[in-house]
Order: sequence, then C-alpha cells, then structure tokens
Amino acid sequence: MQAATSFRFRRELPPGALGVAMNIPTLLTLALVLAYPIYYAAYLSLHKVSLAELRRGIFPFVGLANYQRIFDDRLFLLALKNTLIFTAFSVTVEIVLAIAIALLIDQKLWTSRITKFLILVPYAVPPIASGLIWSFIYSFEYGFLNRILFTTGLSNSAVAWAGDPATALFAVSVPYIWRTLPFAILLLHAALQGINQELYEAASVDGAGALQRFWHITLPLLRPIIVVILVLRTSFAFAVFDEVLAITQGGPGDATWVAAWYSYKKGFSPPFDIGVGAASTYVLAIIIGLIAIAYVGLIYRRTE
Amino acid sequence: MIDKLAAVRRLGRRDLLLATAGASLLGGGEAAAQTAGPWAIAPKTKVDKVNFVVWTYGDIYTKIQAKFKADWGVTVESTISAFNDHPAKLMTMYAGSETIDVSQSSPFSFPNFISQGLVEPLDDLPGAKDYLADLTDSARQVAVYDGKLMGLPYFSTVWVWNYYTDLMEKAKFEPFKSYDELLEQLRKAKKDKITEYPIFWVAGVGLEQLPGTWYQMTWNRGGVFFDKQGNHQLGPGSVARETLKWWIQTFKENLADPESLKAQFTGSAKAFGAGKNIYRGPNHHYGLNVANDPAQSPNAGKIKVHGSPGDGKTIGDTHVYFLCTANRDKEWAWKLLQYLGGKTKDGQYSQAINLARDAMLGSGYKSVMQSTAVTEGWKPWGDPVEILAIWDKATYVAEVVPSIYQPWHFPWSDRINIEVSKALTGQITADACCDTLIAAIKEVQKG
Repeated sequence: MQAATSFRFRRELPPGALGVAMNIPTLLTLALVLAYPIYYAAYLSLHKVSLAELRRGIFPFVGLANYQRIFDDRLFLLALKNTLIFTAFSVTVEIVLAIAIALLIDQKLWTSRITKFLILVPYAVPPIASGLIWSFIYSFEYGFLNRILFTTGLSNSAVAWAGDPATALFAVSVPYIWRTLPFAILLLHAALQGINQELYEAASVDGAGALQRFWHITLPLLRPIIVVILVLRTSFAFAVFDEVLAITQGGPGDATWVAAWYSYKKGFSPPFDIGVGAASTYVLAIIIGLIAIAYVGLIYRRTE
Repeated sequence: MIDKLAAVRRLGRRDLLLATAGASLLGGGEAAAQTAGPWAIAPKTKVDKVNFVVWTYGDIYTKIQAKFKADWGVTVESTISAFNDHPAKLMTMYAGSETIDVSQSSPFSFPNFISQGLVEPLDDLPGAKDYLADLTDSARQVAVYDGKLMGLPYFSTVWVWNYYTDLMEKAKFEPFKSYDELLEQLRKAKKDKITEYPIFWVAGVGLEQLPGTWYQMTWNRGGVFFDKQGNHQLGPGSVARETLKWWIQTFKENLADPESLKAQFTGSAKAFGAGKNIYRGPNHHYGLNVANDPAQSPNAGKIKVHGSPGDGKTIGDTHVYFLCTANRDKEWAWKLLQYLGGKTKDGQYSQAINLARDAMLGSGYKSVMQSTAVTEGWKPWGDPVEILAIWDKATYVAEVVPSIYQPWHFPWSDRINIEVSKALTGQITADACCDTLIAAIKEVQKG
C-alpha cells in the first residue's frame, strides 16, 4: 500500500502537463459539439448541398457561388438590415433595463427577494412558448394589449401589432427582451454585489450624489460585465429565430425577415438549398465576430 | 409543361357517372369494394413496423393505423407535424438517413420532392393501374408526373366562398353576383355598422392561403398567371394585377379583417365561425366542417357556401401520399401507402371514405366522389348538392399557375407571400408587387 502511494506520488505530472490533461476532456467535447459543426457548416457553404446530395453524401464543390447568390439576393440584404435594427434595439433596451432592475433589486429591501425570484420566470419559459404567449397578447381582436390600451383610453381602435409592418419588428423584439432580460440582470446583480461598499461611503463623505456615485463608481466597475453582456446578447440577438417563427413567420411581407429566418427558409424549405443556408449563417457569424472584437476593443481601451 | 397544360381539363364529375354507376350498385352507395384484388394479398417479406410522415389534420390517422395493425399485424409509426412545417420535417428525416415508408405532399411541393429523389414511381406495383384508372382529373394531374404514377390521392378540394346568415339578414343582403356588388355590400355593411370588418380573407402566409386566394379570384375573373407557353401574365393591365388592385382596396378601406393576413385554413374557418364577418373569401370547401361544427363554432349551421361571381368558375387541387425512396421495404411501404391513399385489405377506400364522412374532404377517386360518403357524408356541415355544383365549375389550379409543375414554384411562392402581403398592408402598390414578382421569376429559375 505504501509502495503504491509513493509510486503515484513520484509519477505526479508537472503543473503544466496536468493542466493540459485536465483540459483535454473539455477540449474534445468542445471540438465535437462546436468546432466540428462550424467546420462542417463552412464545408457545406462551399458545396452544392440539397436533399439528394445529403442523402448520398456527395457534395459537388461550387467555390464561392453560394456566397455570390446570397449577396445578389435582395432579401438577404434586407434580412441583415432587419437583424441589425432588431439587435440594436433589443440589446440597447436590454442593457438599460438590466442595469436599472439590477440596481433596484440590489437594495436591501424584503421585496427585493420576491423580485429576484419573479424576474427569473421569463427565463424559464421555452422560447417558442414565450412567442406563442406574446402572439396571443398581440392578437388584434382578442389580445390583452389592445384590451388594456382600449380600457385605459390610450387607444380608440385595435392595433395589429404583429400584422402592421411599422410595428412588427418591435412586436418581435419585446418578447425577445422579456425572455432574455433576466440573464443580463443576474450578471449585473452579481457584479454589483462585488463592488466594495466603502467606495460609495467615501464618495458620499466627499459629497457625491446618487447620480455621481452611479456614474463615477458603479458604471466604470460594471464595464467588464457590460462588455460580456453586450457580446453575448448581441450574438444571440443576431441569431433570433424563435420569436419570428412563433409570432410573425417573417411577415407581414418581409418586415420581420431576419438573418436566421433567411437561413432557415433557404435550408429547410423546398428546394432545400443547404449550401446557401450555410453560407448565410457564415456571413452572420463573421459579422457577429467582428462586432464582438469591436466591443471588447472599444470598452477595454476606455477602461484603461 | 405545355403538354401537361394541354391535358388539363375541368375537374368535372358528370363525365364520371358512367364509370362509377356500377361501383355504386356494388357498394350500396359506397365506393367499390373488391376483396379479391392485390390489396388483399400479404407481402412476401416481413417487417416489424412501417411508418409515415404526414401533417396533422384532426385525428384521421388513428383509425387507419389501428386497421393496418389489425389486418396485417404490423405496427404503424407516425410522425405528424403542422402543415407548414411538414416539408422541413420530411427533409431533415430524409437527409438524416432515417427510414420513411410513406409521406405526403401538397401539389405545390410535389415536383420538388420528385426532383430531389424522394418519390418512388408506382406504375409497376400490384394494383397501381386500377388506381390510375379511378383517379379524377385533378388527382391525375398531381399524381402523374412525366407520365409516371408518383402518388395516390390524399384529398381533393375546391375553393368556395362562405357567408354568415345572421349578418346577411341583418344587412338585408343577398349573396353577391359580381365583385362590384361585393365591394358595395362591404362598404354599406361597414357604414351601417353591421360589422367593423365585413370580410375575412384567408390570406395567411402559405402555399394555398394567400396565394390561393389570389389564384382563385384571378381565375374567376378570366385570368391566369402563366400562359400555355410559360410566359407570365402579370404585366400592366393583366387580370392578375387588376384583381390584386381590387383586393388591396378591401384592406385600404378597412373592410377586410386585419387578422386575415395571419389566417390559415382551419384557423380562418374557426375565426369566421365567431360571427364577426359577413363573408369569408374563397378557400377550401371543407372549412364548413369547422365553421358549422357545434363543438368548434358558436354559429354552427349559420355558415353557408356561395359560388363565385360571373360564370362561377373556381379552382381546385389534390394533395397526395407517396412512397418514399427511403422506405424499409417497398412491398410493405406500398401496402401502407394504399391504406392511406388507396384500398385497405377489404377492397374499400377506407381512408378516403372516412375523410369524406369525418372531415368533409373530397376524394381524388371518381368512385368515392360519387358515393354516399360524399353525397350523404357531407350533409352535417353543408349542402352536398350545392358544393358539388361548384365542384363542376372547378379547374385544377395548375391551369391558372402552371409553374406548379416546376421545382422553382415553391421559392417563387415564398416571394408571392412576401410581396402580396406588402401590397395588402399598403407598403407597396399592386404594380410594384407584380413587377417584383416578374423579376423574381428569373431569380428563382436560376436555382
């Protein structure tokens, strides 16, 4: 027994090698579930891929033809524009609301505990279910939203929130914000709890008001976590799909055609152009990557 | 395509009478039953199970699955999704190398499925020629592709108008006889506050909802979308373009229910059954099965059918089941296909008869259309005589939109949904809409 123990002790790996060994399972898992699909999607985007080719497993190489096709497609460019509007609106509103709510629930009040629990509820609702709930809320004749506006006198006639091209994209954005906001609140709330209270006390002694304390202490210290939220939420907002599927299906007309909906329609409805669908997702991924790099660079430069 | 067009004729039912008179006698009014046919012979091979991949419609598949199990001792597994999701579901299963014995298709998707290699020809299979001989014109034009029998009929339908009798009486209207009269009635009903939105269109995104409404009214007014040489007929002054202008007007004047733009088949019938609109735009005849069903409609029995103005001509189509090339066993897959789209072991068109009696669906078989399954079976929801009179004036939709036979029709149909929705919601004019659709033809043809 003693010999075996000393043998194991003598054979213990150096810290660097141990670190590599410990990371290998994670690396392999990530390679399998992330790297391979990303590589495979890139491969598909350079080939002609439809049902018959997928079944046979033989994909003719077409070079950049699929990319050429999407950039020639007015609908793809419109979908990108809609995606940008959707992302800018939803991420901005989400960050502002998340900071406000995180500050509120950070107060030492007994109601904060109840609020902390309640804000998690939307996060637990599956995206499609959330979309369907909101499509009922938006219903022209029977929806709660029109009923509330009508009974409170804010509107004299019903509004087709999801059916009017002027409001449809925002009608999709609101459920998305509602569903994903808790994630941002949780991160910000955790970050708020890590801020040393002595900083606030010192600032108060120096005569700083609430707004000044927020601007000069809270916000700078929250910047790293805001960057994380910006990167994550922008990435996910760029890939919005569930709400579009459940509420508008891209309509009315092309008012809510977003990039992920475009990829889905290209790849999963006749004539099943998987190669074109893959190419469009790649363009999307590159845009998201560039925005993430820009965010990190911009915010950290300011922090330094 | 031109050859196909030349073969297109009216659906007609009177010319089928002779062919089916004997069948009616044999079956006591039901479709012919021949127990000694190939449908009664067990396949030589053995399988544990078979499966089909279909879109949902009530619980029509439960009975036929049980019957197959009882007749042959083989379990039938099903994958059922929503109508609009079916192509994606089928595609992912096929591409993922899953086994699919039987599936189904709308006439709009079928050429695409055939060109993608999903569909197995049926001509050489036992009994196939008998089915072919009994197909209606509409079913034949969908099921036979490039001279080969590629599917068996699921159901047939024709486009009819509906009106709600209570509001008609309140407004003191008679069913309209022209589009001008319809527009006048709608305006008057709104002005007199009979209802906020006098008309409900079936104009949700889909293959047959929004596009189908446009196809139907264009055809009724004497127009088509492509001529027999394949040239589009959407230019300035065309019937299709003028029809769209007229249609837009009903939205512009707030005569059309805004929910129309989200309406699918069943949902539109349910919404109309609520009794808030006077008219429901043209759509599948079997909407009555919902609107006049006491369990689903507060105004059951008060929804009537109405033929189209002028000479009353309308459109119809047939959906099909097909034997998938990804089947586990061709003989058993053929057996299952017959249970869904042909005859069961007892020689009856069991599924087609059940669909007519339980769901008011029409059949792609002449013998079923002439049977009591239709003439009596439809009575709980509507007047079969009246509906069959409309049926006589129906033409297969491919005569109006021959591009249906082309694989590019499906993506072009997507563009129709987008552009016409924009036109109906006032984002673009009818002229801009049609011009964009003309340009889109070349785009989608490139593949």
